[in-house]
Amino acid sequence: MISIKNIHKKFGNLHVLKGINASVQEKEVVVVIGPSGSGKSTLLRCINYLEEPTEGEIIVDGIPLTNQSNINKVREEVGMVFQRFNLFPHMSVMENITLAPIQVRKMAKADAEKIALDLLVKVGLEDKARAYPEQLSGGQQQRVAIARALAMRPKIMLFDEPTSALDPEMVNEVLEVMKTLAREGMTMVVVTHEMGFAREVGDRVIFMDEGKIVEEGTPEAIFSHAHEERTKSFLSKIL
Amino acid sequence: MNFDFDLIVRSFPLLLMGAGVTIQISALSVSFGLLIGMFVAIARLSKLWPVKFLAGIYVDFIRGTPLLVQIFIIYFALPMILGTRIDPFIAAITACSINSGAYVAEIFRAGIQSIDKGQMEAGRSLGMTWAQTMRYIILPQAFKRIIPPLGNEFIAMLKDSSLVSVIGFEELTRRGQLIIARTYGSFEIWLTVAFIYLIMTLTISRLVDFLERRYKIDDKH
Repeated sequence: MISIKNIHKKFGNLHVLKGINASVQEKEVVVVIGPSGSGKSTLLRCINYLEEPTEGEIIVDGIPLTNQSNINKVREEVGMVFQRFNLFPHMSVMENITLAPIQVRKMAKADAEKIALDLLVKVGLEDKARAYPEQLSGGQQQRVAIARALAMRPKIMLFDEPTSALDPEMVNEVLEVMKTLAREGMTMVVVTHEMGFAREVGDRVIFMDEGKIVEEGTPEAIFSHAHEERTKSFLSKIL
Repeated sequence: MNFDFDLIVRSFPLLLMGAGVTIQISALSVSFGLLIGMFVAIARLSKLWPVKFLAGIYVDFIRGTPLLVQIFIIYFALPMILGTRIDPFIAAITACSINSGAYVAEIFRAGIQSIDKGQMEAGRSLGMTWAQTMRYIILPQAFKRIIPPLGNEFIAMLKDSSLVSVIGFEELTRRGQLIIARTYGSFEIWLTVAFIYLIMTLTISRLVDFLERRYKIDDKH
């Protein structure tokens, strides 16, 4: 589904990604963990080309990310959820969700709204269709953001620390929605510090440090039987 | 010196008509300027360097030369190339619009750049093109933020439009000159003209204050 070959990313002199190779299978849930500054968010943002790799090759669902038209095509198939939600503040929840289906998929407004309502039911916010983002709590905003991404009927969902900006009591409502998605067979790549989620939902965990993949394996292998010292030391600090 | 109050009363209707014309030029020029400014601002933020470069030259040239000279170029110099006279009204509006466009472009650019870059990323991640994201997400938000500086631009234009009196266009200042030529009432007429400008600018700045407060409360919608 996703194939990443020898990706490098430099910001000026800063070498953020140093030769990443990875792949994600259909219906797989891959959780990327690692200390801040390890390049995990940058890697995730390379998958839909919000960051352009300095070097290397990315192929998503058979489409190589080589030109703008391919990039747009891939973005239609890949949903993304951001740490800071990034809802459109001048639009209602309904408008947030239906904008891309109407503009990109050329869907009729009524059809897009029907899909949006179904998605709002799914994330437990069917009564908030008319609300504006500022009227919602952080957890509600993030659930709307998930619904917005799902409205494009993506084949893959990328999550960039989706619960890091949330108050503790709102983390679970977002994780629950993500768990449901995973159970339904969505292909997901999740950058997170929620180790409980990684353990419970992840099919595979990738541990990154200093721009490289240090170790990857099943949650059990990483959390209980890590081989690398750096993995063990990271896990001992956060668990 | 005798202060001829009666002269003011007699001239007032004529001056008010001039003020109407002043508002008309300013409103038209800022409206066209808004259109020009929006596209120039987008051009300046473009990744295509020739587009960016040309837009930059336009803004630098207009902001770096006096409006009076720009008016002369359009009214006196341009007809020599075109081989035909330009109507003073057209010349006035054209010069003021092109001038306003450069200032509005900078206002717009600042407004666009003040929008969180996560908004563009969210739009692009949904598969929308750069242009679609600009149109539906960035510009509507930027537009609300630039209402106060646009109001100030309108006030500046209102005052600067007095310069088109030099090409004989009968706005407020020119009306004043004409009345003085007939009556020699320099003191009374210029004071009255200044007073009318002041009333107009104060009214608009109050209006801008009001809008600014309203949008502050209502920032997100």
